[in-house]
Amino acid sequence: MSSSFIDLSSDAVTKPTVEMRQAMLDAEVGDDVYGDDLTVLKLQEMTAKLLGKEAALFVPSGTMGNLICALNHCSQFGSEMILGDECYMHIYQQGGCATLARIHSQTVPTQPDGTLLLHDIEQRIRIVKDDDHFTCTKLVCLENTHNRMGGKVLTVEYIQSVGKLCQQYGLKLHMDGSRLMNAVVKLGVSPAELVESYDSVLFCLSKGLVAPVGSLIVGTHEFIVQAKRLRKVLGGGMRQAGVLAAAGIISLAQMPKLLNLDHENAKLLAEGLSKINGCEIDPKNDVQTNMVFFSIKFQ
Amino acid sequence: MSSSFIDLRSDTVTKPTVEMYQAMFDAKVGDDVYGDDPTVLELQEMTAKLLGKEAALFVPSGTMGNLICVLNHCSQFGSEMILGDECHIHVYEQGGCATLGRIHSRTVRTQPDGTLLLDDIEQKIRTAKDNDHFPQTKLVCLENTHNRMGGKVLTVEYIQSVGKLCQQYGLKLHMDGARLMNAAIQLNIQPAKLVECCDSVSFCLSKGLAAPVGSLVVGTHDFIRRAKRLRKVLGGGMRQVGVLAAAGIISLTKMPELLELDHQHAKLLAQGLSKIHGCEIDPENDVQTNIVVFQLDPDKINIDASTFATILKNEYQILVTVQGKFRCRFVAHYMISKENIEYVLQKVKQVLENNKK
Repeated sequence: MSSSFIDLSSDAVTKPTVEMRQAMLDAEVGDDVYGDDLTVLKLQEMTAKLLGKEAALFVPSGTMGNLICALNHCSQFGSEMILGDECYMHIYQQGGCATLARIHSQTVPTQPDGTLLLHDIEQRIRIVKDDDHFTCTKLVCLENTHNRMGGKVLTVEYIQSVGKLCQQYGLKLHMDGSRLMNAVVKLGVSPAELVESYDSVLFCLSKGLVAPVGSLIVGTHEFIVQAKRLRKVLGGGMRQAGVLAAAGIISLAQMPKLLNLDHENAKLLAEGLSKINGCEIDPKNDVQTNMVFFSIKFQ
Repeated sequence: MSSSFIDLRSDTVTKPTVEMYQAMFDAKVGDDVYGDDPTVLELQEMTAKLLGKEAALFVPSGTMGNLICVLNHCSQFGSEMILGDECHIHVYEQGGCATLGRIHSRTVRTQPDGTLLLDDIEQKIRTAKDNDHFPQTKLVCLENTHNRMGGKVLTVEYIQSVGKLCQQYGLKLHMDGARLMNAAIQLNIQPAKLVECCDSVSFCLSKGLAAPVGSLVVGTHDFIRRAKRLRKVLGGGMRQVGVLAAAGIISLTKMPELLELDHQHAKLLAQGLSKIHGCEIDPENDVQTNIVVFQLDPDKINIDASTFATILKNEYQILVTVQGKFRCRFVAHYMISKENIEYVLQKVKQVLENNKK
């Protein structure tokens, strides 16, 4: 798209900053498949530390990150995961969890605030091993911020309550944290606090954080070792990926503080739209971060 | 790996050139998932033209390129593909065609020159729809140059003969052309001529052509449109990927002319190794491009390949790939000089001298 357009289609359209381009120019690189790319290793270490997890893995996209995590938790034949009916993984990943990963999905109605009711999740959990009709539930997935619900933020308390439920039933909990930093900035908490209850998190650098390419997944050392294998078989093993990771380091270090401005601009936009005849939006309740969903209705 | 090492493990270790870094810095970018990145569009168009195909698609790796092509040709449930037992797709892609693609693999013995005998392929073709025991053969895969057979080059005539066989039985033909340009340079022909009979090709920029990341898949418009969907579901849909494509454009335009030197270096290395007591290699027949596979002779020396590699690494900062108990591989690339080759030969000789029976 020509730069003469005002592109509000997504935060994925963000172009790398001059600082990022310079970092890419100066990046120390190596063959990441051999584990020799220092810049990628640095980015992964920074991310793991930021999110309070043992290890991290750089991947080409959020789609691959989510797929790797789901596959990793649900590697046993006959596995099932519970997720919201409006979540990105269910709607926009081309059904990859089913077609590639062979995982059965059980969906739960998504509330307007992006949450799934605890009761709705619990009702669907199936862990009995002796009923041959049933798949085995292994995983619950949440999304923060929630894309289709309009960039809604899940709170620490809510996430902890789902975490507790998962622990009770021996299930893993994954976060599609594509826009994690938007949630962090909105709540004023540390990223590590927000993801403490999760076994794995997918987190994008290429959206509001502006890196040209890439996402990261985090988890335990063991989880990430296995994730690296899954990344390879999916075709995500890149060579001198440090050229991308260098921009990613800038994303982590410099870009989160700019997200507040995106949220203010989104609020401004929503407030303005609400005053336009034919536009339907509730700025107070519908807009929490950088997304603005509105309807067009003419009387 | 520190740059003080002489890294002959693979041509994948090649770092971007200064020109590539500059191109990446200046690259015009956009969101490629929306089809808005002009640099990657340019690279794809250039590649399609170079390979004489309708369209091309940039992907993060050769593994993904092969997987997309195979999945694309064998999308029907119960499909089967025929490929060599020593090919990269079968040995080094973690069985993804089976585990992710749900495609049955039927292997054929690989000849020392990297070819599969026509008769061996034909014997395994199963297109009958009325036998419930059989999957349906959809695809034949070739690899050029052939990695495990030591970088061997498949000729146009051979590929054409396989292409004819595939046509006869209504099968598709895919080429794993990770090192396609090495083959084109060795044969001194246009890449398009080499892949004319192939329905799809996967072709790497990140090996001898030195781009930091990426490969391309080529085929018809229709094939590439479906390939784009497959790339997305696998997680290969990247955003401002022009930063990588910019380096890829340099790969295509500037790097092929350097491959001839890699081949010369490989030959030099092979000739030197053949004179070393304890090394087994036939430079004339074993080495055609940039890959040098050699064996240690357990009757003459008392260390295995793994120990040999460790000594080379720890004492002389030379890196080699171990491929078996006594089998090793060196790969020449643009970062390796003639002086490096001479040094390596000196040290290999020394190590084997010190460990002879």
